[in-house]
Amino acid sequence: MSAAKAKMREKKMRNQPASVQYPSGVNGEGGSQNRGHGSGGHPSSKERKKPEDTGWVRGHQRYGGGYSKEMPKYITGGAFARARAAEVKAMLRAVSQTACSSHVFQALPKHMRRRAMSHNTKRLPRRLRDVADRMREKSLQAGSKKKKEPAKSKSRKARRRHGNLLLDFNRRQRKNIWLETHIWHAKRFHMVKKWGYCLGDRPTYKCYRSCYRAMSSHCLLQDLSYYCCIELKGEEDELLAALSQMTSKEAGPTFAAALCLSGRRQVSVTIYRIGQYPCQPLGPVTVLWRPKTPGIRGRQLWIWAHPTLKQDLLPELQSVCRCWEAVPPSIDPEVLCGKEKSAPHPKPENILEAKLKPGAKRKRSSVDASEPPVKKILGDGTRLPGTTVTWKSSSTGIVINDLTMEIVRYRLIGPQSHSVLTEALEAATVCKEVDKSLGSTFWWPQHCSDESNMLLHQQQADVFHTLKGISSTTELPPGTVLGLTVDDPRLTLPTKKMKVLPCVSQAQEADEDKRKELILRGVPEQCCQSSLWEESVRDDVTENKIPEQALNRMKSEMLVPGSRLSPTPPQGRVPVLLVHQPGKQVGQEMSSWGAGWDLLLPKGWGMAFWIPLVYRGVRVAGLHMGLKHSHSKAAPIFPHDFPDCPAGIRFQEEQEAEFLDKFKRHPPAKRTNYIKHGCLAPFRCPWQQLAEEWEHLTRGGGDEPAEMSVAKPLSLFIVLRNRKSLRLLSGWCRPTTSTGRRLNRELLPLSQSAVTSFLSAHGMSLVWVRLSLLSKGRPELHSMVCVPTAEDLKLLGKHQDLQEPPHRDHFKSRIKPQKKSLKSDDPEPRSTPDSDLIFGLWPDPLPSVTSHCSRVTLGWTTQGDFSLCAGHGEALGFVSVPGLLNTLLKQAGEHRGTLLLRNPGSLHYRFAKVNVEV
Amino acid sequence: MVPHILSFARYLLCEVNVSDMNDLFLLNDQAVAAAVKAAVARIHGDYGAALCSIRFQVKYLNAHTGIVFLRFPKSCYKLLWSALPFITHINSRGQKIPCFLNCLHVGGTIRTCQKFLIRYNTQQLHRMLPKCKNEGEKQQIRQAILGCFIPGGNKEACEDDIECEEDEGE
Repeated sequence: MSAAKAKMREKKMRNQPASVQYPSGVNGEGGSQNRGHGSGGHPSSKERKKPEDTGWVRGHQRYGGGYSKEMPKYITGGAFARARAAEVKAMLRAVSQTACSSHVFQALPKHMRRRAMSHNTKRLPRRLRDVADRMREKSLQAGSKKKKEPAKSKSRKARRRHGNLLLDFNRRQRKNIWLETHIWHAKRFHMVKKWGYCLGDRPTYKCYRSCYRAMSSHCLLQDLSYYCCIELKGEEDELLAALSQMTSKEAGPTFAAALCLSGRRQVSVTIYRIGQYPCQPLGPVTVLWRPKTPGIRGRQLWIWAHPTLKQDLLPELQSVCRCWEAVPPSIDPEVLCGKEKSAPHPKPENILEAKLKPGAKRKRSSVDASEPPVKKILGDGTRLPGTTVTWKSSSTGIVINDLTMEIVRYRLIGPQSHSVLTEALEAATVCKEVDKSLGSTFWWPQHCSDESNMLLHQQQADVFHTLKGISSTTELPPGTVLGLTVDDPRLTLPTKKMKVLPCVSQAQEADEDKRKELILRGVPEQCCQSSLWEESVRDDVTENKIPEQALNRMKSEMLVPGSRLSPTPPQGRVPVLLVHQPGKQVGQEMSSWGAGWDLLLPKGWGMAFWIPLVYRGVRVAGLHMGLKHSHSKAAPIFPHDFPDCPAGIRFQEEQEAEFLDKFKRHPPAKRTNYIKHGCLAPFRCPWQQLAEEWEHLTRGGGDEPAEMSVAKPLSLFIVLRNRKSLRLLSGWCRPTTSTGRRLNRELLPLSQSAVTSFLSAHGMSLVWVRLSLLSKGRPELHSMVCVPTAEDLKLLGKHQDLQEPPHRDHFKSRIKPQKKSLKSDDPEPRSTPDSDLIFGLWPDPLPSVTSHCSRVTLGWTTQGDFSLCAGHGEALGFVSVPGLLNTLLKQAGEHRGTLLLRNPGSLHYRFAKVNVEV
Repeated sequence: MVPHILSFARYLLCEVNVSDMNDLFLLNDQAVAAAVKAAVARIHGDYGAALCSIRFQVKYLNAHTGIVFLRFPKSCYKLLWSALPFITHINSRGQKIPCFLNCLHVGGTIRTCQKFLIRYNTQQLHRMLPKCKNEGEKQQIRQAILGCFIPGGNKEACEDDIECEEDEGE
């Protein structure tokens, strides 16, 4: 019996009378002589020591003489009566007092019990009321004694007051960065803390299919502001010389691609460590060059990278550009003067981080001058005030600037995203009044005063107008950039949420020509220029944003309610950049699916653009939908699908820990036994082992290759990104029967010699493949990609089940004795190596991953789901290049490229078609 | 949690009658239990002995008054009860105590037995009072009757509880 139980029982039995008898020990042996005298009359050890409980013993002791051995001299009823009386007293105590563990009403018979008796003592019979009251008081006291009362928080009303709310928000932003749309998202989304940010994962309402529909036919909006922007400034030659060390032409476009360099296109580039191609990749980034500006000599480019990539990328960039000279964060005079206007006590440490909305907390700061005024955090709230964000190089003149959270990035996915954009945004109205004395502090009137700027603005507005006429976003050349200055979109906010429909009407001749030009050539080079590139303009715009409150007041003061505010306030112009986002570029099917636009804004304007966009009937998605978008596009996602990048490795480890934790939360009997399913690594993919084993297998499998693998154990696997090789592989994967595709130009036919030469270059490589299931089935994460045997291929299309024979779990027996030894508390040395055994999982040194199952394993999938746009299950993953080539060699023409797919928790194999897409 | 089916029991409130009052002090619960078991085995054979080993227990024994609570399973208490009159002696501490058991009450719970016992004992005391021979004796019995009742009733006991709990808390 446990201690607590014993205590409970002791408490319960406290009022119950114990047996009254004499111990059989010392006194009892001596006969009855001693009994009844002095200590001899001491009751048994079961008796309690309290004097009032032992009433009869007392009585007995006093009159013990009456119970002597000899014949009594006189007979008295006293002793008899006392004994009875004592017993009655004990019994009374037992009967009248309830055990402490139960409530008073539990002593009542069932038919007298009432609802909520413990809450309201008046429901008890009157005779029990005072007892119950006392007990209740006691329990209340005990409760207050045990828990410290929580610090009295302010009332809800006080907490929701604007200033206090801001303080609270700022406190909560210290750990994780909040995007500007955080509050909006937090009300509607499941939020996750990832990569140092608070991000919306998926909405709380059901919208999987509607989001897909929006993606494929209308528009889906996602806040991508968490992507980090790194700005590089310097001479073009210097920049290119430095950056070319990190890329290779073989792996796709580089920083120097002509269209990209002119600033007309955004391209995606895979970055490697300096001079390490093809090993040690860092990850993909998107690159955007600023078009050549007449006044400025140097060039400027933005590198957009995933937050997990930034910590690897930034040191690499610094070393390649030799930028180690940290520039202390300077205080922009314009910012400062903006500050002094609004806040009487600007704290220097807050200037970079927190920009005050003008007039936000004037009352508070005037009342309590010692306290710093509450400011809304814009940008990175976690960064310390003195953190360096700018590095300069004295030798090359390159300046690296970390623009994380300085620029808001929204992604609109879907064929109608241009309609949404053209509906929500309006090219800025030109500032006519030349009232220099009044509006000179804002950038737009100054900008307007220059004639060339106005001309450019007119051109940009024309292009933007033409954009309205095109029928689908996919028609545009991928990566097109358009710079623009727009009016404050809050001015044209519709009163009701509406759905934007494409306008394909009034095709005039001139418009038609313009449209064709736009579709064919893209945006002309000069129109890609935007004031967003200028830091001073960005700061000015952020600083002088009209607060919501002021804007609403202006609206309410208008004569005709609901009409547009005119003239537009001078600070209501925002420079933006529109970047076309290419859709599916690889493969033949669903070409350019999921194209869209990225909208780049200066910070602080996030919500001002978000709400108008949402009011145009877009769907809003989170990270989850972003994954599905990439899945449908068959594009690898960073960091999920980059197992050779440092960020990808870190991600894999985190993912494994997360899955393992989830797995362990189930009791062993309710877990999937992955050993029995023949699944060696359900939570991670041992890519290195796979690549090594396949290399070993292809080298002949004799003694010599073993030596080879011993000789160079440090060669790491790489993911094949060489365009030429990928194209070759892609051609080999296709079935040879379809004659149209057979006629590939300059493609080597698949032969033993070609394969050998290919493998000599890419022996340790993995290749990114898309697997589309031929029959039913929904592939999952970490499904195994296997090679079908010749007999399996005969079953293809015959609706017969292919199954893996169940494996035996040899570790089960080793787990059980371990448990026993744990119980008996003797740590045996034998059981220590087994201590990390988890039921249902293979312990660490895995056996051969390729030949563990009845079908040879080629690789694993890293994404897998039922694809709504393909109509069947689709999986994306990596397979070993030598394995794939060997399989293809053995397969006959019509079945070429048919592989098997098996989920980690299942024994069924499904046929799938492999595609290498370039 | 005890299975519910087992918790059905009958409690027999018996009085051990001895010829010599001092013999009562020799009694203990094991001795009584052994005597009951022996009697049942003698009367009802192996079957009885087996029944007796199921849930039979001496719940309470007062060596001053000779009151015994016996717990029998409800399913067979009548059979076991029928053997009780055949107890003629109890072997306790190496001595043979001649006695017989007189069943006063059969209850479903200990609580009812306790209530009965209170009534029975007070009745006894009240009967004794008019039969007293002298004043001293009368006085003693009167005191005993008054002493039966817990002064202050429930209230004091509850306060006592609180004190106890506070002790435990520290």
